[in-house]
Amino acid sequence: MKSLRYASIVFAIALLVAGACGAPATPGASASVSPSAGGAASTLVIDRDTSDLISLDPAVLYEFSAVFATHNVYETLVRFEGTDLSTIKAGLATSWDIKDTGTRNDITFKLKTGQKFASGNPVTADDVVYSVQRAIKLNKSPAFLYTDIAGLKADDVKATDPTTVVMSLPKTASASAFLTILTFTIGGVVDSKEVKSKETGGDSGSGYLLDHSAGSGPFSVDHWTKNSEVLLKANPNYGGTKPSLSGVLFKHVPEPTNQQFALEKGDIDIANDLGPEQITALQGKAGVTTVSADSLLLVYVGMNAQFKPLDNVKVREALRTAVDYDGIVKNLLKGNGKKVQGIIPKGLAGSNEATPFQADVAKAKSLLQEAGQTAITLEFLVPTGQAPGGASWSDLAAKLKSDWAAIGVTVNIKQTTTADLLATYRAQKGQLVMINWGPDYPDPDANVGPFTDYKQKSIGWRNAWDDPTIAQKGRDAALITDPTKRAAAYKDITDYVLHNGPYVVLYQPSELFGLRSNVKGFNWSSIGWAELAAVTK
Amino acid sequence: MRFLGFLTRRIVGIAAVMVGVSIITFAISHVIPADPVAAALGDHATDQQIEAFRAEYHLDRPLPEQYLTYVVGLAHGDLGRSIRTRRPVADDLFDSFPATIELSLAALLVAIVVGIPAGVWSAIFRGRLPDHLVRLLSLIGGSIPVFWLGLIVIGLFYYQLGWLPGGARIDTFVEPPPSRTGLYVIDSLLAGDLNALRSSLLHLVLPALTLGYFSTAVIARMTRSSMLEVLGQDYMRTARAKGLTERLVILRHGLRNALIPTVTILGLTFGSLLSGAVLTETIFSWPGLGRYATAAAIALDFPAVLGVTLLAAIVYPVANLVVDVAYFWLDPRTQRG
Repeated sequence: MKSLRYASIVFAIALLVAGACGAPATPGASASVSPSAGGAASTLVIDRDTSDLISLDPAVLYEFSAVFATHNVYETLVRFEGTDLSTIKAGLATSWDIKDTGTRNDITFKLKTGQKFASGNPVTADDVVYSVQRAIKLNKSPAFLYTDIAGLKADDVKATDPTTVVMSLPKTASASAFLTILTFTIGGVVDSKEVKSKETGGDSGSGYLLDHSAGSGPFSVDHWTKNSEVLLKANPNYGGTKPSLSGVLFKHVPEPTNQQFALEKGDIDIANDLGPEQITALQGKAGVTTVSADSLLLVYVGMNAQFKPLDNVKVREALRTAVDYDGIVKNLLKGNGKKVQGIIPKGLAGSNEATPFQADVAKAKSLLQEAGQTAITLEFLVPTGQAPGGASWSDLAAKLKSDWAAIGVTVNIKQTTTADLLATYRAQKGQLVMINWGPDYPDPDANVGPFTDYKQKSIGWRNAWDDPTIAQKGRDAALITDPTKRAAAYKDITDYVLHNGPYVVLYQPSELFGLRSNVKGFNWSSIGWAELAAVTK
Repeated sequence: MRFLGFLTRRIVGIAAVMVGVSIITFAISHVIPADPVAAALGDHATDQQIEAFRAEYHLDRPLPEQYLTYVVGLAHGDLGRSIRTRRPVADDLFDSFPATIELSLAALLVAIVVGIPAGVWSAIFRGRLPDHLVRLLSLIGGSIPVFWLGLIVIGLFYYQLGWLPGGARIDTFVEPPPSRTGLYVIDSLLAGDLNALRSSLLHLVLPALTLGYFSTAVIARMTRSSMLEVLGQDYMRTARAKGLTERLVILRHGLRNALIPTVTILGLTFGSLLSGAVLTETIFSWPGLGRYATAAAIALDFPAVLGVTLLAAIVYPVANLVVDVAYFWLDPRTQRG
């Protein structure tokens, strides 16, 4: 029995030790440092949910994580600087000139000389032509930006000399919108010599660029370990101001709480997917700062005009008028969003600052009376999960239900997965549908077209709102090249949609980040990236 | 010959299970009222893009034809292409499976190393403090949700105490070992990289304890009850009467007999570890099959969900088969049946 007792004591200790999980260790403080990462000191570590990654090829990718990473790998002819999305600046092109040839608009780009790719190859006009033609030929997710929005065909892009590229657009396409498309990742110029050498089976090198890179940006892709991490390393041949970071590591960490913990412990530099709860928890913590940045999303309710009485413009105005927008932003979003009621988000040219609606029950009721409506019952489709800005979709729906109940409108909330909701919405079968929208490219046309043009078979169509006059005004505004005239045209359009359209635009959410205090120069652009070459730590 | 017959029957059984699982999973994933195309292409897709996508994944074909295409692909080792990652499902599974195996084996090790002694200890001190302690911990282990436990241990051992890493398979700035088995601990040993070994072992502790706690509880309770049964047997009295030390009586005569039912449930335990990995891997940012399955399910990525299900459907009965084969040899009575 004595030995058993001894064994019992040993086992009890073992249990305790097992409970304490072994010897103390300091995570992240390991001695052996990955040489490719360049060491912890100069590598920026970003925790982010990167489960959306499909490819790092600029002609293929269209996912948020890939856009963020590769924006720092490939340079574009023209670009937006920092967080400003209203002024196009020079990128690989020093100048661009739009010329009306009578039947088309030709844009001539003059390239900067002396620029090199990470491989050491010079950046030439042939590379630009190859990159655009390659994206059109591959015809992957982002290709519609060239082919549908800009009406561009492969033959429309030509190099007239080693530093000059001419792109010829049909008159139906907006040259202003096309320039903004060129700032996006699809406009990334690839090293044609490098990519051609990696082609296999006519894949235009997409197999190689899936997890490698051939760009001239401040960073290049070191590796992408699926489901784990993407490492970018500084490109020594970058022609701009060299980044102070030796690398940037995107770690796939889907849980916001884990991101918060890792940030507080100093194991990472930036937490990319924080919600209001994590931001609140981080407030006042030593060594950590929080950043709230704009997004270009709009959270809205679509009102299907083919269902009575939503066909009545006064009923729609009454629903808009009854909503407590300030309450949503303050109480549900905890301030992580802005009250925006127009169809163009803040940050884009043409955004309308007007917010005429705020929980005016008396006015809403009188609008319903004018419309001859007293008791209305509607079905309200709502996604599951969390809405942009951090509130749950169900809380938003409950708030709207209560606001509308105050004016005698009963809504029956039907919560379903986003995929299901979209299937119903796309089939014009939703009555009231709450969802969000983000523009495909940073130009007002990317919102005004879908929201107003029934023929685009997008949001306007889904809500059965066919208003040919406003649709034509939208198409005309897209083609205006003078910024002042264009802004005036969009003001006119958004004012009209504000009171006549089938939308209750609820808010524009913010994006929340946690940063270690020593991280400087991190400026999030609402299009979905930060320029990491400017970041120091 | 009797053994060969047994083995053949079991393998045929596994094949039948596979066919059944594939039909049921395929049917469920294709009749539920959710559209994978909307999930994959989102809000902005045009009608043309949707049609092209349906054609690419044969979603425009009748259901029996889709199943036939799938089965023909399976026969050629093709599990289809993931809707979410756009890669062959087989490649995705190949990438993520070793991480899950490593985690499940570590959790199984925890369950055996802690569960069996705890059960024995509890039985020996029946009705006394050690017994109450083990039973209480087993009760908690059997009822605590894995995701909650995971968050608690991360909060305590990583965030508060800083003793252990809170996620991933290896430290951020430690180079993973060259892949031979895909199991970092084994690969680090093979490469002789002690730093990677240390880091990967430390990263295993919290997820393995979290995942293994439930199995530990089951094994402890099973060992306790069978040990109690064995302790009252005549041969135990005889052993003591022979003058053997209590340690020998318990370990050689008691535990050996008490272990047989425990071994039987190890196969089931391994299966439950795989399913538990879904939540554990998500919480611990563990790049394994469980996290892949979660992401696939959210994205309505049916080919990937089918691939994971089929893989689990193989692992579960194969683990049981291994146990049964061991049992066949361990307990001669089973050979008579």
